[in-house]
Amino acid sequence: MSEATADAGSGESTLGNTDGRLLIAGGVVGAFALLFVVGTLFPDSTVGTLSYLLLQPGPWSSMLTLAVPITLAAVGGIFAEKSGVINIGLEGLLIISAFTAIFAADTTGSLWVGFGAAILASVLLALVFAVVCIEFRADQIIAGLAIWLIALGFAPFAARIVYGSPNTVSLTNSVPAVRHAGIPVVSPVFQTLSTTNALGPAQALFRASPSVYLMFGVVALGWYLLNRTNFGMWVRASGENPKALDTSGVNVHRVRYAAVLLSGVFAGMGGAALSYNIGQFTGSGQTMVNGKGFIAIVAYLFGNYNPVGAMLSTFLFTLLEAIQNPLQTAGIGVPSDLIGTLPYIGVIVVLALVGRTRIPEAAGDHYETGEDR
Amino acid sequence: MSSEAGSDGSKPDRSGTEWGDRARAGLARLVEASAFERALISLAALVLSIAIGALVILAAGRTATCETAATTYFGYGFCYDPFRVYDRLFLGALGNPINPLFDPLHGNFAAPFTEGWTPFNDRLAYTLTETTVLVLTGLSVAVAFKAGIFNIGTQGQMVIGGLASTLVMLALVPVFTGLATVALLPIGIVVGAVFGGLYGAIPGALKAYADANEVITTIMLNFVASSVALYLVREQFKDPDSFSTKTNDLPAGVEFPQLLYAQNTAFSVVALLFVLALVAATYYLLRHTSFGYDLRTSGLQAAAAEYGGVNSARTIVASMTISGALAGIGGTVYVLMYYGYFQPPVPSYGFDGITVAILAGNNPVGVVPAAFLFGVLKSGAISIQTDPNVTIPIQLVGVLRGLIILFVAMPEFFRLVGKRFTDAGRRSREGGSRVADAVRSDGGVAGGETDE
Amino acid sequence: MTTAVHLDGITKRFPGVVANDDVDLAVERGTVHALLGENGAGKTTLMNVLYGLYSAEEGRVVVDEVERHFDTPRDAIDAGVGMIHQHFMLVDPMTVAENVTLGSEPRKWFGLAVDRDRARSGVDDLCDRYGFDVDPDDRIEDVSVGVQQRVEILKALYRGADVLILDEPTAVLTPQEVEGLFEVFEELTDQGKTIIFITHKLGEAMHAADDITVLRDGVNVGSVPAAETTREQLAELMVGREVLLEVEKSPADPGPEVFAADDIVVRDDRDVEVVSNVSFAVRQGEVLGIAGVDGNGQSQLVETLTGLRQPTAGGVSLDGVDVTDHSRRRRIEDGMAYIPEDRHEQGLVMDFDLVENGLLGSQHTPPYANRGRVSWNRAQTHAEDIIEEYDVRPPNAEARAGSLSGGNQQKFIVGREFARDPRFVVAMHPTRGVDIGSTEFIHEQLLGLRDAGAGVLLVSSQLDEVRGLSDRLAVMHDGEFMAVVDPTDVTEEEIGLLMAGERPDRFPEEGEPEPSTAATDGGER
Repeated sequence: MSEATADAGSGESTLGNTDGRLLIAGGVVGAFALLFVVGTLFPDSTVGTLSYLLLQPGPWSSMLTLAVPITLAAVGGIFAEKSGVINIGLEGLLIISAFTAIFAADTTGSLWVGFGAAILASVLLALVFAVVCIEFRADQIIAGLAIWLIALGFAPFAARIVYGSPNTVSLTNSVPAVRHAGIPVVSPVFQTLSTTNALGPAQALFRASPSVYLMFGVVALGWYLLNRTNFGMWVRASGENPKALDTSGVNVHRVRYAAVLLSGVFAGMGGAALSYNIGQFTGSGQTMVNGKGFIAIVAYLFGNYNPVGAMLSTFLFTLLEAIQNPLQTAGIGVPSDLIGTLPYIGVIVVLALVGRTRIPEAAGDHYETGEDR
Repeated sequence: MSSEAGSDGSKPDRSGTEWGDRARAGLARLVEASAFERALISLAALVLSIAIGALVILAAGRTATCETAATTYFGYGFCYDPFRVYDRLFLGALGNPINPLFDPLHGNFAAPFTEGWTPFNDRLAYTLTETTVLVLTGLSVAVAFKAGIFNIGTQGQMVIGGLASTLVMLALVPVFTGLATVALLPIGIVVGAVFGGLYGAIPGALKAYADANEVITTIMLNFVASSVALYLVREQFKDPDSFSTKTNDLPAGVEFPQLLYAQNTAFSVVALLFVLALVAATYYLLRHTSFGYDLRTSGLQAAAAEYGGVNSARTIVASMTISGALAGIGGTVYVLMYYGYFQPPVPSYGFDGITVAILAGNNPVGVVPAAFLFGVLKSGAISIQTDPNVTIPIQLVGVLRGLIILFVAMPEFFRLVGKRFTDAGRRSREGGSRVADAVRSDGGVAGGETDE
Repeated sequence: MTTAVHLDGITKRFPGVVANDDVDLAVERGTVHALLGENGAGKTTLMNVLYGLYSAEEGRVVVDEVERHFDTPRDAIDAGVGMIHQHFMLVDPMTVAENVTLGSEPRKWFGLAVDRDRARSGVDDLCDRYGFDVDPDDRIEDVSVGVQQRVEILKALYRGADVLILDEPTAVLTPQEVEGLFEVFEELTDQGKTIIFITHKLGEAMHAADDITVLRDGVNVGSVPAAETTREQLAELMVGREVLLEVEKSPADPGPEVFAADDIVVRDDRDVEVVSNVSFAVRQGEVLGIAGVDGNGQSQLVETLTGLRQPTAGGVSLDGVDVTDHSRRRRIEDGMAYIPEDRHEQGLVMDFDLVENGLLGSQHTPPYANRGRVSWNRAQTHAEDIIEEYDVRPPNAEARAGSLSGGNQQKFIVGREFARDPRFVVAMHPTRGVDIGSTEFIHEQLLGLRDAGAGVLLVSSQLDEVRGLSDRLAVMHDGEFMAVVDPTDVTEEEIGLLMAGERPDRFPEEGEPEPSTAATDGGER
């Protein structure tokens, strides 16, 4: 049947989605423009305060920092899902790596070792997920939930054993030092210029923590891997029509393993960045990850499986979160509990508007060589 | 293929008279039988999770520091002894029915039951209280799963249902005074069902009419529900006389009557019976009504359901509403049995409900034993906490929960193991599906039947 | 001449089935060899062995006079064997060049990037050499089925295939496209390539092949040069008995109009118009056939008629009543039966047993349901009745639908739909993937229902089937009815042209020939 509808002019096929996305992107830009215009005209109004706040580096800086774990997990999720394995366990990978980073850094005293250990832990958990899904044909959704729940139980469990509480100790000495490291040479220039408010966002960009630049790097790398290398081609083919890949002589299982493990690598970086930013892992309730892995999934769906798109949609969510505190301080606003729900409601609205994202044809399906569909 | 399996049954003995052969053939047959297979897989998943959990306990016991080792294996001391942990976890939850002196393996044939042990002890009461709530959340998830919808939002629906019913009941207290207070209970349950149902209908409608993935929307709505509940209780309906963030207390008359168990326990047999009645009703709904047929068909094969005249959008919304309603009742029952007031955050019964449903194979009746198992785990966690000799963190139960789901999700693994064990490679499942597909690709015959 | 491929005593067993039993096959270099047989005869299995997708239990595979052991398709590709599957192995959102080079991508920068320019030029070179007109930058989802097939052939050639295996290559093509494919065969064999193609159509084997090998029940029952055999001889080899190549039926005795579609416009899920202003009427006691290449809007048209899809314009009526707004359920209750094209996805719930499947569509209607409660006793009897009357095997109402063979699944669906005593039946590809015995049975049932006074709409891409069964025949192309013709008064070539969207002089644009005007009259009488 896929052939049947294929020739009926599918140029428009993706247009519907693109429309929805463009609409939202345009809406956001328009809203900002309106905000600044009104804010300039009426500096004493609520809108004025808001536009003033948005010219400060603060919210933008928070936006970038908050986006790091989500974007990194999203790029990982793109690879897994493009290869045909829906990795709903990203949340679990973030939790396990956020804990491991602090634990290993605390034990060894080296942030680098902690970073590496976080990636390793996340990759190992991703490997469990991959084996269960690819080798034992588990339902990907259920297995992904299991990965989440295992990490959700294990990280606080381990924290309790090591630190006697679901939260770890705080790494005090080294983390805050790198938080606003920025880029050598370039950043100091911006620092001197930063007296003007209009450059607030730019200052946020150039005085960010290394993890923010890591995020930009991973997004670029992810895009390149996916679109320009043969591995990326195999990943895409494996998710769209694994049989085509198999009959071309490429081992589908191997490609899917690689893609899922890669999602572990990226999510591991994200988890480490998350806990490093605070300097501590907090494991009570939903842990400090608190749904970021799920927002990552929405981010890449909304970003149409494009790493750049995923990052931009992440910014949309994290900006909502980032302006909470300034709003609170400025005295406008709604109780923090309710503002806190904004990103989640935003996710739902976005999902409802672009619900019909074209997911890879074979995503969620098992594949066995020699099996005809 | 089914006809072959059938003839196996009528001709029990073909190859040999050896007992082993027969047992193996029987096992092979069992592995293929679908309903039984599910139960077997659930059991195997449980055993495997417990085994791996034991390894986790040992590993944790090496990492942790303690003054004296709880146990020693292979010359290494461990801070936690898995046997003692599991002993507390499982037997503690039942009120220690087994006499510690009863050890037939070592020739100690003391009375098997602890003297004075009755099924009406306080620990079992707590286990059954947990079970009661878990049956509802498990049922909630199972109904949605049956319709092919992953309702991860049972937690949020439970929160909304429990909060709404508490607030409505509190508001109606001045109206229903004296003996009429009794009427508040059914009203509360209905309100919980309505609000839980409405909150469940939101992701249902989003899925049906906007194609939004319900796994994501329900998870998001969980976060929204807990934040909103926290806000409402903290800012709007806080009990002014209390330091904790909770609503006012419901009057004494608003509770499930307590029979058989001590007054100081939260458990009410009436509540359990009420919940079991809901299980029966759900079973009847799914199995014996046209709507249940629509729901199951949609869950198995959406295209076939539409072909058969099922309005899929409406079925999705209806299933999610029922699922949410059950969760909402769960929230209400939780509030009424435990505290008589609403206090955020609500423990993760909703997530446990997912495990319960998956473990039960989404069978409403299977939900009852699965919920009891989880009741034992949660209650056992308290036994662990209160036993000074076992200091392992109770988050262990969360790990076990994840492991159980993981293993239940991979039936293929157990089939492979079962196949190797029964040496039944001749009719391997994989091979079977391969031939079916292989021949089908050539045109017609599926399922390995060759009589035409 | 040398032997390009030699299969010697191939035996391939699947649990419970011997798919290939000691099969020999020899194919000369530079020839076209047809592998002919019924559905399920083991043709695809044999070729999958040659292509390394299956490994045979017994026998030798000799390619280029060297014995080979292919564990994976990769090995076969390396030995110069390429296969084009019935369902194309193409990645829809990727370009032609990406698909052709998949798994053998040219690289640059020490392998860090795919060299897309070289991929493109490689495809262009091949196109020039074999005279294909394919743009390497087109996306697969944007090109026609015929072009997709060329891409598959390019894929094999790009990997250096000398032996090309094609599995049922004509199934999705118009007669004219089939001719084009056979010309490609000639071009390829002229340049020394060897072609093996799988088919169940006698005519194609006779027409395009140099040699023909017939498989039946996994056994090679004969290899003959195409020039030295007859259709009848081949048919007998295929089926093992003499077969009637024509459907026998009495002339129709049409009554009043039972169903009418009025100026229907339908858009698909991607909002593309796939059915444009289609009108027709079906009378009691007649079969209206719709012929056409798959994917020309038939699926969406049928979904619209049966209530699974809403038209963007136009309406349908049953017995003169406008039922455009009636839900699928309402239409079932109105007396409309529907044999869907996809029995695995739509017609049956594979995990339900036959009792539950017998209820599909009647789960809300008495006597099977009363006030929302299902009567499983009645459902049981109902399923058993269908099984008995339609000879469904195994005769076990508790059998899971998925465990039945295709023919028996289809017989059960036909039985269930006809048990509703329908006034109007829509049958889409009712015998696709069904063995000859069941096909004959289903054809008889359809004609029996027609003779009992029901209106039948038959949609099929099998020309023999629609021509044989229909009393009037509509030809659909690109969402439109090209013409409504008398099936006894039209040649296969003319139908082929209509299916391809070309209009022979005899069938002018608007003024439809007599049979269809008669239909309209019948409706108004």
